[in-house]
Amino acid sequence: MIRLMKAEALKLVTIRSTYALLLMTAIGTAGIGVAVALAPHNHGIQRLLFPPRGTPAWYDLVFSALALAEDFALVLGVIIMTGEFRHKTATPTFLAEPRRGRVVAAKLIVSLGAGVVVMAAAAFAALVLGLCFVAAGYGGVGEMAGRLGQALPGYLVATVLFGTYGIGLGAILKNQVLALVVGLGLTAVVEPIIVAAWPTVGRWFPSEAARSLETGSSLSRSGFGGGLSHLLPSWEGALVLIAYALALSIVGSMTTLRTDIT
Amino acid sequence: MPTASVEVRHLTKRFGSVTAVDDLSFTVEAGRVTGFLGPNGAGKTTTLRMLLGLITPTSGQALVNGVSYPSLIEPVRAVGAVLESSGFHPGRSARSHLRIIATATGVETSRVDEVLDLVGLTKDAQRRVGGYSMGMRQRLELARALLGEPAVLVLDEPANGLDPQGIAWLRSLLRYLASAGMLVFISSHLLAEAAQTVDEVVILNHGRLAAQGRLSELLAEAGATIRLRSTEPERLVASLSARGIGARREGADQVVAESTTPERVGAVVAEDRIVILEMTSSGESLEDLFFSMTAGGALPARELAQT
Ligand SMILES: Nc1ncnc2c1ncn2[C@@H]1O[C@H](COP(=O)(O)OP(=O)(O)OP(=O)(O)O)[C@@H](O)[C@H]1O
Ligand SMILES: [Mg+2]
Repeated sequence: MIRLMKAEALKLVTIRSTYALLLMTAIGTAGIGVAVALAPHNHGIQRLLFPPRGTPAWYDLVFSALALAEDFALVLGVIIMTGEFRHKTATPTFLAEPRRGRVVAAKLIVSLGAGVVVMAAAAFAALVLGLCFVAAGYGGVGEMAGRLGQALPGYLVATVLFGTYGIGLGAILKNQVLALVVGLGLTAVVEPIIVAAWPTVGRWFPSEAARSLETGSSLSRSGFGGGLSHLLPSWEGALVLIAYALALSIVGSMTTLRTDIT
Repeated sequence: MPTASVEVRHLTKRFGSVTAVDDLSFTVEAGRVTGFLGPNGAGKTTTLRMLLGLITPTSGQALVNGVSYPSLIEPVRAVGAVLESSGFHPGRSARSHLRIIATATGVETSRVDEVLDLVGLTKDAQRRVGGYSMGMRQRLELARALLGEPAVLVLDEPANGLDPQGIAWLRSLLRYLASAGMLVFISSHLLAEAAQTVDEVVILNHGRLAAQGRLSELLAEAGATIRLRSTEPERLVASLSARGIGARREGADQVVAESTTPERVGAVVAEDRIVILEMTSSGESLEDLFFSMTAGGALPARELAQT
């Protein structure tokens, strides 16, 4: 199993697209952070919703850009799994380890580490951004770093688990494009609609489960954005994500991944 | 260590309504090169993939060293395989590709450079595989197959894309490995090449076994084509035909007898006292054997070639 995990890690570090994805995560996080920070908030209702620049609450808002890391971890997880079929490396992979479930298990474990690295890229971008804002006169270093430190653990857990969720989606769908469309489509389109319509149902979906982790550490539940009271407790959210990853991976291993490699 | 073996028992694979492999049984032994021949769509690749645990049989068994591939303790050290449409990540170098397999299977990394050298890819080992030519990819596949120093080699069209030097190199490599006691099982469409490489053949047609055995024996059984010149060609044809030997006239004084032996023709000629001016015998080629064994196969090209 250790060998398989090492091999899976090698697969990631020996292709450029992994590094491109990390770079995109960093740039995307910084971009969203800037957009949120510069959003007009000096008039109308926004004055009520947006905290003044430089305040801890404002930094919480800026660092919510870290949530982007979850999407990138999801993409990476999907690629780790479906890349085998897209590039037909499934043949050498399953020749080397014919017990396909073990390969999926190795990928799940390695995706945890990959999630940490994705989060590190996002966190680095957030830190640089935060330092820039501090340099520009918005709040002190201590406050900024404090808010970042407060935000990181929740986003980290959510990101890491989203990577395993991506592996599960890939295992069950096998097709890279399909898995990406389903994964990102659910997160960005379907789930928000369900959450808006039936919050108590929506909270059991992956991205809402991830949100319970984010808010658990960064924003107080009664605070910004409102309407967060429907979310699961953080630990339940984590368990829900783990359940998704495992259930999809196990079902995928027993169905889609069992099929003929031709 | 028990000697290597490959055994297929009543193996059947259906893809929907297509029966790709149909109640196929054969065994392959170590210490020789066995050719796996058959027209396009005969079921060779499907059989080899079942042997390697990549395709699940509809029924029957495919065993390597007496067990199914997934039950082998260290499959890559037991069996080396080259398969059609096996892939590479285009962005990865050949060396990384092999290092990943070596890591997954516990093969020492030094072996990676050895096999790269063996297949002549050392110079291009750091290049990304996306830029490789077809023959270079095939060499990389061969390198992967040899990585675990297996005692069984299962190769699907290994000569695909190889240049003449590559093919000659592969032939001598396979002959050498077989003489060292390895089991080499290789599918091929290059019959002239296979004839020089293989000791045994398994011929497949429409998913069924058409013939199996030592190539030399099968060829001897299939007999030879005898050309004769005679002063009485008409009577010669009648005499041969009367004894069940297929014969026909050709040109003014020639007679061609097929699928027989010089001994049998000689006996007929002596018995009926026919004057013979010339007699030559040419053995069947693997190609002739292949076409006769797979006649009625999906090979319109053969009919075209004959007319
Ligand atoms: N995944 C699949 N789905 C449906 N039919 C398939 C599949 N794989 C193979 N077949 C069919 O099974 C039959 C045998 O195919 P196979 O690839 O084993 O032949 P082959 O002997 O390797 O041919 P070739 O000489 O062209 O490589 C063909 O009729 C093919 O169409
Ligand atoms: Mg084939």
